[in-house]
Amino acid sequence: MSIKVYLVDDHRLFLSGVKAELADEFRIVGSAYDVDTAIEEIRGYQPDVVLVDVHMPDGGGIAVVEGVTGTNPDVKFLALSVSDQAEDVITMIRAGARGYVTKTIEPEDLSAAIQRINAGDAVFSPRLAGFVLDAFAGAIPSDDDPELDQLTSREKDVLRLIARGFAYKQVARKLNISIKTVETHVSSVLRKLQLTNRHELARWASKRRIV
Amino acid sequence: MPGVESPTEVRTLQPQRRMTNRVIAGVAGGIADTLGVRDGYVRAAFVTLITVWGIGGIVYLLFWIVTFDRVEDRSTKPVESSQTAGLGIAFLGLLLLLGAVGLWPNAVLVLTAGALSFGTAAVTDPSSPGALAALINPDAKKVSKVRLVLGGVLLVAGIVMFATAVGRIFEFGVVFLAVFLTGLGIFIAFGPWVRRLIADLSTERSERIRQEERAEVAAHLHDSVLQTLALIQRSDDPQRMAILARHQESELRDWLYGTAPLDGVDLVSTALKRAAARIEEDFQIPVDVVTVGDHRVDEQTKALVAAATEAMVNAAKHSGVDRMSLFLEVEENSLDLIITDQGKGFDPNSVPDDRKGISESIRSRVERVGGQVNIESEPGEGTEVILRLTL
Repeated sequence: MSIKVYLVDDHRLFLSGVKAELADEFRIVGSAYDVDTAIEEIRGYQPDVVLVDVHMPDGGGIAVVEGVTGTNPDVKFLALSVSDQAEDVITMIRAGARGYVTKTIEPEDLSAAIQRINAGDAVFSPRLAGFVLDAFAGAIPSDDDPELDQLTSREKDVLRLIARGFAYKQVARKLNISIKTVETHVSSVLRKLQLTNRHELARWASKRRIV
Repeated sequence: MPGVESPTEVRTLQPQRRMTNRVIAGVAGGIADTLGVRDGYVRAAFVTLITVWGIGGIVYLLFWIVTFDRVEDRSTKPVESSQTAGLGIAFLGLLLLLGAVGLWPNAVLVLTAGALSFGTAAVTDPSSPGALAALINPDAKKVSKVRLVLGGVLLVAGIVMFATAVGRIFEFGVVFLAVFLTGLGIFIAFGPWVRRLIADLSTERSERIRQEERAEVAAHLHDSVLQTLALIQRSDDPQRMAILARHQESELRDWLYGTAPLDGVDLVSTALKRAAARIEEDFQIPVDVVTVGDHRVDEQTKALVAAATEAMVNAAKHSGVDRMSLFLEVEENSLDLIITDQGKGFDPNSVPDDRKGISESIRSRVERVGGQVNIESEPGEGTEVILRLTL
């Protein structure tokens, strides 16, 4: 059974383009241009994966993620944006999105990302990987859960390779580990990113912008 | 939200002058509205204070200068009699204090003026059941005229008293008085006009600044985005179009969100992005730049950026790829710069002479500033050039 995908983007031209690209491979169950319709329809259609734009009127992608995860925790989100601000990316991930890719992503990479998200893994674009490395750099703050506040050296290795544009398969080969292990590392980084109270994270995100 | 005043609350605390129902400039009315007291009593207070060396007049002028015309009209707040009484007692205390420190020029004068003005205020108070109030209340225009005349008489009396008092101190007497009164007249007549003129000038100035900014934005968009869109419309090569769009995107992003180097300090990340943009333009091959941390451009890092640029040129010419990656990571003690392409690759042990030259030049640049170079490649496995600097 093919993966049920729902699209949310207020940029209609972009939305129709993505729809056309994904239509062969996935079952597009619906799409919305605005937050309210999106939340309502996602609750109704129960898609597997939602591609959601970050910047939209009335609260943006965050509002969609937050509006759905409470009632439908099984729906997985992939944030898709032209965004420039680390703040946006970090907020989306912390709201519950399992991945973040930029809109310039190649169609085949987008398909792979949707499949990976559907399988319960995380998807990091090179830029997001760079961010996370940057956000977790520096001294470990004294916090209740230091394990959440720093990356292991293996996780850093994985992120560095992703930041350099390698696919998970290539990362696995370069580090002599299995793809499954790469996925585990990335999911673990995602969890840390969502759960850490690393106090620098917010400050860091607000002053840094993705270019 | 707690601790935050609502805009209306803030506005009521701003000193404003009344535009309606005023005698001179609406200063007393404005104060009355702010305090929640009948305007007549505030006016009476001013008049009484005028007899104390003209303090009332000076305070009035000061308020006139610092207050603003009220934009919207506001009905007077309901007056609490206890508040009026409290303020009245406070005013009486102030008068007595002035008397105690010897500031009363003439006790009889002050007391007479006080009694007269407050008396007038009381009889014209619409909330008091006096006959005069009943007489003037139904017709608003009449009220303001009666008040105008009354206020005028009281003011003139005050000014005369003030002038006499002042005249007594100064030998010049009449001359001083004339100069003072003329000045006061001019101020009353033209003060608001001068203020309005100044306000107009500042409005005009901010408008001009806005227009200049708009023109600058328009000029920038014209030189960049519109030009690129025109080029894209004329191009039928998708690869070329994508490059143009990409280049324009990063340029616009930099312009919109770019962090300008502080105090003219150039950052390695900025230098790398510039270098990458040149490669994209010269070879039509996109470069994905990801930076972690940053460092200022100095002798050492400049050499690394130059070496990285050569490595990118090398990759663009020989690897056969349609994109490459440039990764910068600055840690506490080290700076790593990695150029990755997933193209043809080569055997580092049997490098053709032309490529060896370039590798050697990358190596010598970096090693001269104390850095290390590691070039990893295998045929069919892409190439990575790792430049490392210990900080």
